[in-house]
Amino acid sequence: MWLWFSKLGSPRWFYELSGRWLPWLYGAMALLLLVGLTWALLFVPEDYQQGHTIRIMYIHVPVASISLACFPLMAIAGAITLVWKMKLADMVAKCVAPIGLWFTGLALATGAIWGEPIWGTWWAWDARLTSMLIQFFLFVGVIALRSAIESPDAAARACAVLAIVGAINVPIIKYSVEWWNTLHQPASRISMDAMSPNPPEIWVPLLIMISAVYLLFVISLLLRTRNEILVRERRSQWVTDLIARSQS
Amino acid sequence: MSAGTVPEVSTWGAFVATLRRDLLVAFKRRNDLLNPIMFFLIVVTLFPLGVSPDPLELAGISAGVVWVSALLASMLSLDNLYRADYEDGSLEQLLLSPQPLFFLVLAKNIAHWLISGLPVVVLSPLLAYMLYLPEGAYWTLVLTLLIGTPVLSLFGSIGVALTVGLGSRGLILAVIVLPLTMPVLIIGAKAVTDVMFGLPVGSHFALLGAMLAVALSIAPLASAAALRISVN
Repeated sequence: MWLWFSKLGSPRWFYELSGRWLPWLYGAMALLLLVGLTWALLFVPEDYQQGHTIRIMYIHVPVASISLACFPLMAIAGAITLVWKMKLADMVAKCVAPIGLWFTGLALATGAIWGEPIWGTWWAWDARLTSMLIQFFLFVGVIALRSAIESPDAAARACAVLAIVGAINVPIIKYSVEWWNTLHQPASRISMDAMSPNPPEIWVPLLIMISAVYLLFVISLLLRTRNEILVRERRSQWVTDLIARSQS
Repeated sequence: MSAGTVPEVSTWGAFVATLRRDLLVAFKRRNDLLNPIMFFLIVVTLFPLGVSPDPLELAGISAGVVWVSALLASMLSLDNLYRADYEDGSLEQLLLSPQPLFFLVLAKNIAHWLISGLPVVVLSPLLAYMLYLPEGAYWTLVLTLLIGTPVLSLFGSIGVALTVGLGSRGLILAVIVLPLTMPVLIIGAKAVTDVMFGLPVGSHFALLGAMLAVALSIAPLASAAALRISVN
């Protein structure tokens, strides 16, 4: 266990291992995306109320669910950075922040595109929308702090503290916002859960799409982390060897 | 000065000494003391000018306006919390002290709240009157601010501690701290609005109290960790 743990801390080991994983991940993602998208866009029956717009769900739900996973992941990586000073954990924490920001932004954007035909508005101060917006701001804060601090080591630890404080706050924000709004417009909740009679022909393609987008997230995180490893280890022997080999 | 001749200082003694020092420094600089309060008054004045002088409209937003202005005033005054100490080196002495940093940071946060938060709480009924807040909601406003503004100081302290070593702090501090303070704003302003509609507010106070308890026990820990990172 400890051997594995210390190995995981080695950027080189991670770089080589993830290099072997990537082709499999690409293949699995391509397959799932192909199946999921064709099924969701062409074969899922039209919703009796929403018509074709229901298909936006197959992008919106996966993207939103992943954006929710990013902040806890960043906080866990931050905690590992603070406790064990593992370099790799900080690289992951650094790389997951912009991806989380993107997925949160995408969730807001696809939600707006879906909301316009269904609710008649691009934006509503609904509980879920607002908590997503606040999560967007939290990511912006972490990224801003990272870019403001020059020393990489201090930036790593400062961002770790902020990520942990933010992660403690995320559930508080979620519940306070939910509770803030449900008092005044309980109706909007029903429109969101309107599809509760939920047959497998609806949710199986959704599950496929969620797995596909999760793989997309894992791949982009791996690629970003691999770049970060190369940049940070650029003076080490194995990276110069790697560059020499790729150029010959 | 060798270690043997230094009199033993208890944690409580160090806590009180830090608190007294910060208050003393603040009272020596009257302008720093007045600025957050003036800022609070001016921001509140902007809303009738910008939105409407109509009593009914103002009454509807008065709770939110006072709360948002209190939040901004607390943000503005945060920069004083560690910067001067960082620049003259006394922050380093604080970090080197054998006393637990948690309590020293807590003392500094309490001093900050006494200087910038408490005046806002005291002034809030006057501003509530000028914004036509219904009479029944005065006490709720004052009490929510009394419980909520310390949370703002405690959370803000984490942001200042993280950014104290940076050249340009103003905006990044706001970007980091404001999202963290949103739950306090939501519950605090909501409690006042609910009282205006005659709804029960016990649960709001329970939540605000819980937030204060969590902030008191966790925030100084995070501030202390952040200070150690920033000063090294």
